[in-house]
Amino acid sequence: MKKLLLATSAALVLALPAWAEYKEEHRGGTMRLVARSAAGTVDPHINYTLQYWQIYQGLYDGLLAFKKAAGEDGFTKVPDLAEAMPEVSADGKTYTFKLRPGIKFSNGQEVTTKDVVASLQRIFKVSSPTAGGFYSVIVGADACLAEPATCTLEGGVSADEATGVITITLTRPDAEFLDKLALPHAVILPADTPAQDVGTAPVPGTGAYMISAYDPNSGMTMTRNPHFKVWSEDAQPDGYPDVIQYDFGLTDEAEVNAVMNGEADWMYDQPPADRLAEIGSTYADQVHITPLTAWWYAPMNTNIPPFDNVKARQAVNFAIDRNALVNLFGGPVLASPVCQVLPPGFPGHVPYCPYTKNPDQVWSAPDLEKARALVEESGTKGQKVTVIAEDTAISKAIGTYMQSVLTDIGYDAEVKPLSPNIQFTYIQNTSNNVQISITQWYQDYPAASDFLNILFGCASFTPGSDSSINIAGFCDKDIQAKMDEAMLLGVTDPEAANKMWADIDRAVTDAAPMAALFTPKRIDFVSKRVGNFQFNNQFYWMVSQSWVQ
Amino acid sequence: MVFAILQRLAQMVFVMVGISMLVFLIFFATPGVDPAARIAGRNASPEVLEAVRISFGFDQPFYIQYLTMMQKIFVTGDLTSFVNRGWKVVPAVLDTIPVTLSLVFGAAVLWVVFSVIIGVVAAACRDRWPDKLLMILGLIGISMPVYWLGEVMNLLTQSRFKDTWFLGWVPPLGYVPFSESPKGWFLALVIPWITLSILYIGLYARVLRASITEALQEDYIRTARAKGLSETRILLVHALRTSLIAFVTLFGLDFGALVGGSALLTEVVFGLQGVGKLTYDALQNLDLPVIMTTVLYASFFVVMANAVVDVVYILLDPRVRSA
Repeated sequence: MKKLLLATSAALVLALPAWAEYKEEHRGGTMRLVARSAAGTVDPHINYTLQYWQIYQGLYDGLLAFKKAAGEDGFTKVPDLAEAMPEVSADGKTYTFKLRPGIKFSNGQEVTTKDVVASLQRIFKVSSPTAGGFYSVIVGADACLAEPATCTLEGGVSADEATGVITITLTRPDAEFLDKLALPHAVILPADTPAQDVGTAPVPGTGAYMISAYDPNSGMTMTRNPHFKVWSEDAQPDGYPDVIQYDFGLTDEAEVNAVMNGEADWMYDQPPADRLAEIGSTYADQVHITPLTAWWYAPMNTNIPPFDNVKARQAVNFAIDRNALVNLFGGPVLASPVCQVLPPGFPGHVPYCPYTKNPDQVWSAPDLEKARALVEESGTKGQKVTVIAEDTAISKAIGTYMQSVLTDIGYDAEVKPLSPNIQFTYIQNTSNNVQISITQWYQDYPAASDFLNILFGCASFTPGSDSSINIAGFCDKDIQAKMDEAMLLGVTDPEAANKMWADIDRAVTDAAPMAALFTPKRIDFVSKRVGNFQFNNQFYWMVSQSWVQ
Repeated sequence: MVFAILQRLAQMVFVMVGISMLVFLIFFATPGVDPAARIAGRNASPEVLEAVRISFGFDQPFYIQYLTMMQKIFVTGDLTSFVNRGWKVVPAVLDTIPVTLSLVFGAAVLWVVFSVIIGVVAAACRDRWPDKLLMILGLIGISMPVYWLGEVMNLLTQSRFKDTWFLGWVPPLGYVPFSESPKGWFLALVIPWITLSILYIGLYARVLRASITEALQEDYIRTARAKGLSETRILLVHALRTSLIAFVTLFGLDFGALVGGSALLTEVVFGLQGVGKLTYDALQNLDLPVIMTTVLYASFFVVMANAVVDVVYILLDPRVRSA
């Protein structure tokens, strides 16, 4: 967080940097994006995919937004449909916003406080995936979760139409509430939007663009919102292309060809490994590589043998050669080894690596002697271990590597690759008795709890359910108590809270409910004509801020 | 005749009910597949999961869920996808049919014409070098997996020789509706047609050659020769006609299966949004409503194609007619 604050204040000192200027001469044209497939419903209150969250940035607005700026600046929250950042009461439970007047939806209707109240209710009425996780802190949310159809959020959300003041009351202080309000699940839609998943029928929004056609089998067309006027460059800047056409249905190989030939301007999917050399050499100036705030990790089930023994889990951590895994992923250009939970560049991240040959802040080499000794001490030697990997080239290769490492330190290991569509839910369900698996997690918003509390908190562990994101089934009372404390502290003192999160990160890493593997980077491969490429750490490449002419 | 048609219909219903039940049961018996958890999204809280389970009817007994789904496919036609929610599946499948039909029809024309020519030439030159050469080529055609061939074609037409005069005319991948531009439609489909038909040309040419060779040993050929007919006439009229029975049987089954979605790999490789690609995407996302609809659609076509084959038999072989 410290780094982030510095960056923001530096930007303020230097006044407005160059990117804020809109270059009229580049306005216009059609930008063509391609992806293998569509990403489901276009309902912004329901869709929970990186693919659509990325494009929602130019389509919808919440009361707050993440700043449309490159790099870590993208983690800053700025007022969007609200005139200013909210006033927070002394007890941290009441937030008061004032709605910016005169903003219109793409259907011409003016945004009123009614729309704001209805949109917040709608999160529950449509059973948004995060309704229970993110927004249950609002007063009245419990009733809404129990009876979605009659949700009123009474006592939680109230508005005064005349003054445009909206008040949101929480049951307890929540340091991340503003992050949550800036996510697509809390954007403001017209009050008369149906209280069910709209599916393929786009909902009007307030952004610079609107979806004018959507067919999950072929594509999505985004055109300029005729009622859009810039009210905040930071929150919702005007875009360059007149039309953004997002086509679905090409394989990743074909997507690479299309971008190389200039038939497409950008591909969503990551280029296949066999094309990387060609892209990296011949098309080097069209490639943008950015580290993500995400990780690949191997959760270990802390409730069944052999990994109910902490020594066995630590042994795995000592044994893994993370450089070998980085090479499987495409080499040091595309990933970097990691031992801890919080990714580099993330609030609360302090480099820490106990699982390396000469313990240091960063990982250097595996320590097989120590790993074998730990397995011996744990008394789990010779037990059968099955690694559940995804049936994709990289995940399968990592699975096979893990099998060899586990065999090397004394287990009877095998690897079972499952279809990527089944694997993620399969490994979550305790009834499948998964011992160790390989998976990934990408941030929702920049807060340490989004990794630590969600992936290793007691509340995320639901035995017997396909939806139990604490895959390791790790629930440590002391650590949980610290996490609760840190979340509370974050309300008043984010910096101190982040120091605490760093401690929690260390504690979780020491308890080793998982083996951290590496931090992936994202490859954005764009066509020759794309200019002004800017990567926002929160929602990735800002599509509408690049130009095609 | 009426009885035969009724029998076919009953057979079709039986096959479709059986297949749909199997698809349904296999889907729900797969671990890690809980549709409520997939619809609710990652990290959904137990309350949200429960609300989704109820709103999608996953709390109902299996037979009710099955019957509701069948009703939504056949009666109301408003079955929606589990993944792209709100997307009506039946119209979506209907929309993809022209793409698949365009692909399969064009490929079928190619493979029938070329396999008949090759088969007849090979049979006429039995055991001499043209026969051996053609049969080896046929074997090579059969042995090349269509997805590999398709990717190689793409590599050549979309990447390596994109800017040369002899492949520069190939348009970007994807389908162009005939109504929009007949020329665009044709150009977009040439490479997929060739790719899809190569396997079948090889296979059908070999089958045809074998059955012509066999037919030439028959008594009626000896009779024809005794009547003093020319070898060409014997080959093309007498031997070829009866030899086409095996060919037509195969053709009926293959054509039915391809229209039903088996051209999947070709469609995926060339980015053609046909029934096969729809099925492929649905399998990738475990989208039961789409899988169910495309499977039913495919089984309908396979049974239909078989019925048509039976009729064509009668036209081709006088012996079947009298029996």
